[in-house]
Amino acid sequence: MSNPLLSIRDLHVGLPHRRRTDEIVRGVSIDVAPGEKLGIVGESGSGKTLTMLAVVRLLATPPLAVLKGEVMLDGEDLLKVDERRLRAVRGGEIAMVYQDPMSSLNPLLHIGSQIEEALRAHGASSDDAKRRTREVLQQVGLADPERVRTSYPHQLSGGMIQRVMIAMALSTSPRVLIADEPTTALDVTIQRQILELVTSLQAETGMAVLWVTHDLGVVASLVDQVVVMYAGRIVEKASTHRLFERPSHPYTAALLESLPGLGTAHRSALHQIGGTPPDPTRLSAGCPFRLRCSYAIEKCAHEEPELIDRGDGSAAACWRDPAQW
Amino acid sequence: MVDVALKAEQLAKIYGSRRAGAQVDALSDVSLTLTRGKTFGVVGESGCGKSTLARLLVGLEAPTSGSLAINGEQVHLKAKGDNRTLARKIQLVFQDPFSSLDPRMTVQRALKEILRVHGLHRDDLDGRIRELLSMVGLAARFAERYPHELSGGQAQRVAIARALAVEPEVLVLDEPTSALDVSVRAEIINLLVRIQDELELTYLFISHDLSMVRHISDEIAVMYLGRVVEAGRYDQVFETPLHPYTLALEQAIPVPDPEHERTRKVLSEAPAHVQVAKATAGCPYAPRCPLAEPICGEVAPVLQEKSDGHRVSCHVALRH
Repeated sequence: MSNPLLSIRDLHVGLPHRRRTDEIVRGVSIDVAPGEKLGIVGESGSGKTLTMLAVVRLLATPPLAVLKGEVMLDGEDLLKVDERRLRAVRGGEIAMVYQDPMSSLNPLLHIGSQIEEALRAHGASSDDAKRRTREVLQQVGLADPERVRTSYPHQLSGGMIQRVMIAMALSTSPRVLIADEPTTALDVTIQRQILELVTSLQAETGMAVLWVTHDLGVVASLVDQVVVMYAGRIVEKASTHRLFERPSHPYTAALLESLPGLGTAHRSALHQIGGTPPDPTRLSAGCPFRLRCSYAIEKCAHEEPELIDRGDGSAAACWRDPAQW
Repeated sequence: MVDVALKAEQLAKIYGSRRAGAQVDALSDVSLTLTRGKTFGVVGESGCGKSTLARLLVGLEAPTSGSLAINGEQVHLKAKGDNRTLARKIQLVFQDPFSSLDPRMTVQRALKEILRVHGLHRDDLDGRIRELLSMVGLAARFAERYPHELSGGQAQRVAIARALAVEPEVLVLDEPTSALDVSVRAEIINLLVRIQDELELTYLFISHDLSMVRHISDEIAVMYLGRVVEAGRYDQVFETPLHPYTLALEQAIPVPDPEHERTRKVLSEAPAHVQVAKATAGCPYAPRCPLAEPICGEVAPVLQEKSDGHRVSCHVALRH
């Protein structure tokens, strides 16, 4: 793998209290190379969103805090840079698109002026900002970019707004795009278009993309590499193909089995995982998945496994080799 | 003969005033026949009218026109006031259990309330509550809990128990798994299938999740801008879709299989961002349709049988 563009190393995020600290993200390491497409999959409470917020230092601090770790962007630790530099990085080198696009825009301003504002904040002249705004609105495939530019958010549909958000994120030609469930609020056909749009833009610009999602289907179609998170940790890392072909962690395997696929018999019982995702602030010793796991052994109750190599660039945090399942 | 639990005919709902010229046809001429003990799936994207349909069926709103019969008995659908007779026969389960449960009521109180409202509080009220909870796979101790002490899956089970309390004929499930974590969706679906078999319940299962709808439904209707554009047995609709919109929906399902992804991409380039605010004279799907012909912009197609109960509303599909 070429040198990582963005490298998250041993990141810990938590809620410090007076006497103890609840750790919510417990040692996450992720490397992303230029042009790479990485999927981060996890359910609510798995720590995927907190990890991404910590990368751009948008955690609500306090109460949350980064307890430990580094976020290296091309050799520069973003957790150490000053506010000024940080403002240049956010929305500049690293752009973000969030789940609920309607709440990310100012309802009182035209779309155009909001994109221009972002560009000017990153040093573009007034004329350049205007020109670039027209350009990106065109790029994201909006039918009538000129009308969109002079519209207020409420005058546009959800799909159009999400395109606007992507246009805004792309306007500064970022090197990394973080998309946190950008399509969950959208309908399937529109979802599909947004996904294809980002993929085609990525092919043109070579930016790295991190897709954060709970939907394995989205991941299958979009990314080369997948990281699966559970209870604040990475439990499996693999190429997309390998993950779907031969999952190495019982959680991933169970998730895949629980989806009604093309081969699932009509109205047959779907595979249930049982139990519920654990509260990450109340974890006991051992593997946090063990209570829901069909393959748990004695050791799982005492010791939490680290990521163990499973060959073909795949790794899983599980004491048991899939061959023994 | 088919045992019909619910029959809706020509249901329509228009919002806004005719005079102001700001009318929205949320639902136009929707007719459905639900067979007892079976699941009728309704799919469509946001704004297609599927939630309006749910609200009309349970009496939360009155239709502008149309009729509804349950067990062959005509139901009077009124705008305001007491719809309790209807509520005894048909119950609704919402998408987000936390916003449909009162945060200040324990599970027990929520269940007691619905039983009291419908005059169903028997001598052994606690026994009945235990029975309802066990039906949805919850231990009796959950009766004491408040909604915030429940996980998403548990809260949805409580919402289902509450709907079952009045022993309804029909359960309308409006996106019952969409707000839940992926790992608990399967157990709610399994639970719904089990309860249906045990109680011979009839379901109207509304969702935008096509793979779930296909999995659970016996019959399916695809809705677009307030109309049913295709309907039939689940295998007919999914294996031989007739309407170009159904085809586009199916092709957009993210499939958890990278190989399948690579071989897809046939017809996903419909201009979806064109929002049709007002139905024109012709087919409502025509502005997005890759197969549209001149006639589609002029004459609205009607739902017609193509073969063996498989119905479609499309000029092109009906001709071929």
